[in-house]
Amino acid sequence: MNRAPLIFLGIFFAIAFSWTGIVLTNHLGYAKLQPVFNEDEGKAFPQRLPGEAIRGKEVYRDLGCVYCHTQQVRHAGYGVDLERGWGERGSVARDYIHEKRVYLGTMRTGPDLRNVGARFAGEGGRDWHIQHFYDAQITSKGSIMPNYRFLFETRPIVGEPSPKAVQSKLPPQYQPPAGHEIVLTQRGEDLIAYLLALKDGPLGPDETSRLYVPKEEPKKEASQPEAAK
Amino acid sequence: MSATLTASLNPASSPDVAQRAELSAIDASTKAPALYFLGSSVLWLIVGTVFALIASFKMHSPTFLGDIEWLTFGRARTLHLNAVIYGWSVNASFAVALWLMARLSRAELRHAGLLLIAAIFWNVGVTVGMVGIAIGHSTSIEWLEFPAYATPILFFAYAFVGAWAVATFRFGRSKHIYVSQWYLLAALFWFPSLYGVAQVMLVFEPTRGTVQALVNWWFAHNVLGLWFTPIGLAAIYYFLPKVLGKPINSYYLSVLGFWSLAIFYNWAGVHHLIGGPVPVWVQTAGIAASFMMVVPVIVTGLNQHLTLVGSASALKYSPTLRFIVFGGVNYTLTSLAGSLMSMRSWAEITHFTHYTVGHAHHGMYAFFTMVMFGSIYYILPRILLKEWPSAKLISLHFWATAIGITIYVVGLSLGGILQGIATNMTHGPDASIIPYLSNADVKGIIEITLPYLQVRSYSGVLITIGHLAFAVNFVWMLVQPRPVGATAPTLFRPAPDLEAAR
Amino acid sequence: MSDDQKKSNLPPHVPAPQHERAEQAGANDQSIQKVHAILLREKEEPSEGFTPMPLFLLGIISTMILVCSIYVVHYRGDFDPLVYDHRYDAVAAKAAASGPKVLTPEQFVAAGKRQYATCVACHQASGLGVAGVYPPLAASEWVLGNEERLIRVLLHGLNGPIQVKGNTYNGLMPAFGKVPGGGYNWSNERIAQVLTYIRQEWGNTAAPITTEKVAEVLKAEAARTKPWTQDELKPFE
Repeated sequence: MNRAPLIFLGIFFAIAFSWTGIVLTNHLGYAKLQPVFNEDEGKAFPQRLPGEAIRGKEVYRDLGCVYCHTQQVRHAGYGVDLERGWGERGSVARDYIHEKRVYLGTMRTGPDLRNVGARFAGEGGRDWHIQHFYDAQITSKGSIMPNYRFLFETRPIVGEPSPKAVQSKLPPQYQPPAGHEIVLTQRGEDLIAYLLALKDGPLGPDETSRLYVPKEEPKKEASQPEAAK
Repeated sequence: MSATLTASLNPASSPDVAQRAELSAIDASTKAPALYFLGSSVLWLIVGTVFALIASFKMHSPTFLGDIEWLTFGRARTLHLNAVIYGWSVNASFAVALWLMARLSRAELRHAGLLLIAAIFWNVGVTVGMVGIAIGHSTSIEWLEFPAYATPILFFAYAFVGAWAVATFRFGRSKHIYVSQWYLLAALFWFPSLYGVAQVMLVFEPTRGTVQALVNWWFAHNVLGLWFTPIGLAAIYYFLPKVLGKPINSYYLSVLGFWSLAIFYNWAGVHHLIGGPVPVWVQTAGIAASFMMVVPVIVTGLNQHLTLVGSASALKYSPTLRFIVFGGVNYTLTSLAGSLMSMRSWAEITHFTHYTVGHAHHGMYAFFTMVMFGSIYYILPRILLKEWPSAKLISLHFWATAIGITIYVVGLSLGGILQGIATNMTHGPDASIIPYLSNADVKGIIEITLPYLQVRSYSGVLITIGHLAFAVNFVWMLVQPRPVGATAPTLFRPAPDLEAAR
Repeated sequence: MSDDQKKSNLPPHVPAPQHERAEQAGANDQSIQKVHAILLREKEEPSEGFTPMPLFLLGIISTMILVCSIYVVHYRGDFDPLVYDHRYDAVAAKAAASGPKVLTPEQFVAAGKRQYATCVACHQASGLGVAGVYPPLAASEWVLGNEERLIRVLLHGLNGPIQVKGNTYNGLMPAFGKVPGGGYNWSNERIAQVLTYIRQEWGNTAAPITTEKVAEVLKAEAARTKPWTQDELKPFE
């Protein structure tokens, strides 16, 4: 008896079944997700990244940041992502609908970056990133993040010093030799722009109405143990 | 006709000399492609090992080679992964799968020279992909980092290999389909399906939002489960009874093990997204499937264990058997650990930690790679008609890699668990129980894991020594002249039973 | 069936076509030795035994399937693609969605602690700051003093020299409120939460700050576009 066709059929259906269940159903299910307008903020969320940040995401991709940093916040009561200040709420699928590439990540050697733009913002945030990329030890002693000196350029000053020079933001031991200045390369500028733009908006009503609500009195809430203190 | 003639000329040999003659012809037909695949796999193994060491050292000494952009951690790690997966593991699986398929189907590989084209294309594809990653064209999609321009080359090469293997099965003289062949056929079909779908839905026309993550882990976990695992199990199912000279314990257990793997492994990949922004029901289904993976693992483990029982002393002599059994035992262990890791309460701690890295190496190295080593120790003498030059180097290879990977997995698992506990203890009554792990910020967590990352580097050095021993033995075997007359197998020690082959 | 299969697994002892090499090999003892030396010592090609399946295994498997089915039903999240929490309960969620959400004082402080994750980079988890660079918050007169002044510092930021607990620091405090030029744009509620937190942590025991109070100050300073200096804040001491 030749059982090869039977075996092949089984092999085929095993994979077709999982593809249908895991990929196809959700491909269809998430196709209808749209941005939601938020009255308080006067904007629709999720927002698209500005052009500079989109270029910065390419730098994030080619340097392999995803292997040490996640971009997903676990919901209240599962892990302590919220308590660590990595977000105000768990991530939902709608947050990612504009992203051509989704870098959820599976490893947290460093902190989650989904809302890093909320933690480090504005001019001060930019300065922090400049120090951190030049040498992570400046801002975070003991960090094992590599230096990204190749995102900077040390060059001789020709004529007027550049207004974009960044060495004034670095501690004394990192100063360039006399007559030189340190500037960010375009890739460095873009990457920082991306990190400054990484931030989720408020939750839409469809997700808010599907949050877990504990049945007990708030005192015994398992999802908010920090309140116990 | 010739069979009887041969038997009469050499009465000392076993009565089925004709079968041996057939095997001889089959082995000879696989020589060119198998040798090419194996040679390149060993080369990629060394390349991958070098990048592994670089990445591992960078993890605890970030300034090591720190200012070289193409060797920054994010790229060195990626280069390591792709070199050992698509370079070493897939090349080795091609050789082993083709050789096993030809033998079990009782068919010569026809026009095997054409397979060399596939072999060349595959390695060109891997090289192009590796260079692409080094210069910053990685996709940063885990397990699919090769840039889009490398994949058509790989796909073309795979189509050749797959078609050849299936054709060999189709035109084989064997009427019976042995359990190894089920696994091989399944793997040969599953891999291109997975790879094709993942390329289209992630690289060429990325699907929407987090569905990408679902495709990614459906692919990446299934490459392990539906390509490497079946090939590894096919090899164990062949070499275990072959070396021991007795049948696999139970046909029924083989059937159950195969089909439960086909059904459950397919769904297990979602456990990489527990707690993530994908529907909770898919996560739950993935967890249930991961839990059900206990069935094929126990069944397969039982089947192989019951086959080995009573013949375990052969482990003292046969290199092939020792590598294969080490791999088989670790298949059981890593799979059970994987089922445990997918439980929500356990994943809450170990997800996002070095524990996962340890687990990945447990599966890909302690199981799959060790089985491939064992297979190569058996296959190469048959296709080269030479013996392995040094038993000492084989012994060094085994102990260095076996001890190295054990330290690796144990060390990273411990480090990962501590990392996970520290990450999850920012507050609350738990905090006072283990003060050392409580209230650690990200820097504190790194401090806790640092010793384990250093242990990883040391174990990596040990594994590297093993790989070098293997590579030296391999090259030595290639260059040594073919012996005249009968030769004895290279065993760890003289075997009482002369037929205890490798 | 088993006999049949065992038989079919054995070679039929008929030389296959295209076996020139093997046939040549059979021609004399020398070449047999050469070509087959390694093969001759090999054992049989593998075959399968037919030990029946142990019954306890079927029992275990059935139990596992049962357990998994219960698990899937329990944590199915309504099979709703927008549910991400495995503890989701459709009935409770609908009931809660209709009522307004008010935080208890404890939850208010806890939320403030989460917001403080942003402040940690400079003021440290201990609230002690960094000597000479970032001023402390613990037992600081700026934190414990007039809430009007504290709210203003957080809303618009502070630049220039500042004295805290007798030491002088160079103020670099960014603006956190929804003010022009501020990168953070925190809601009034978040600002009230984090201020309440720092006023009640590290042994500090000042009164909480309400969202309404922050909104009031923001309204009063609507015209302001740049950070405060220490001197400008004198009136609110």
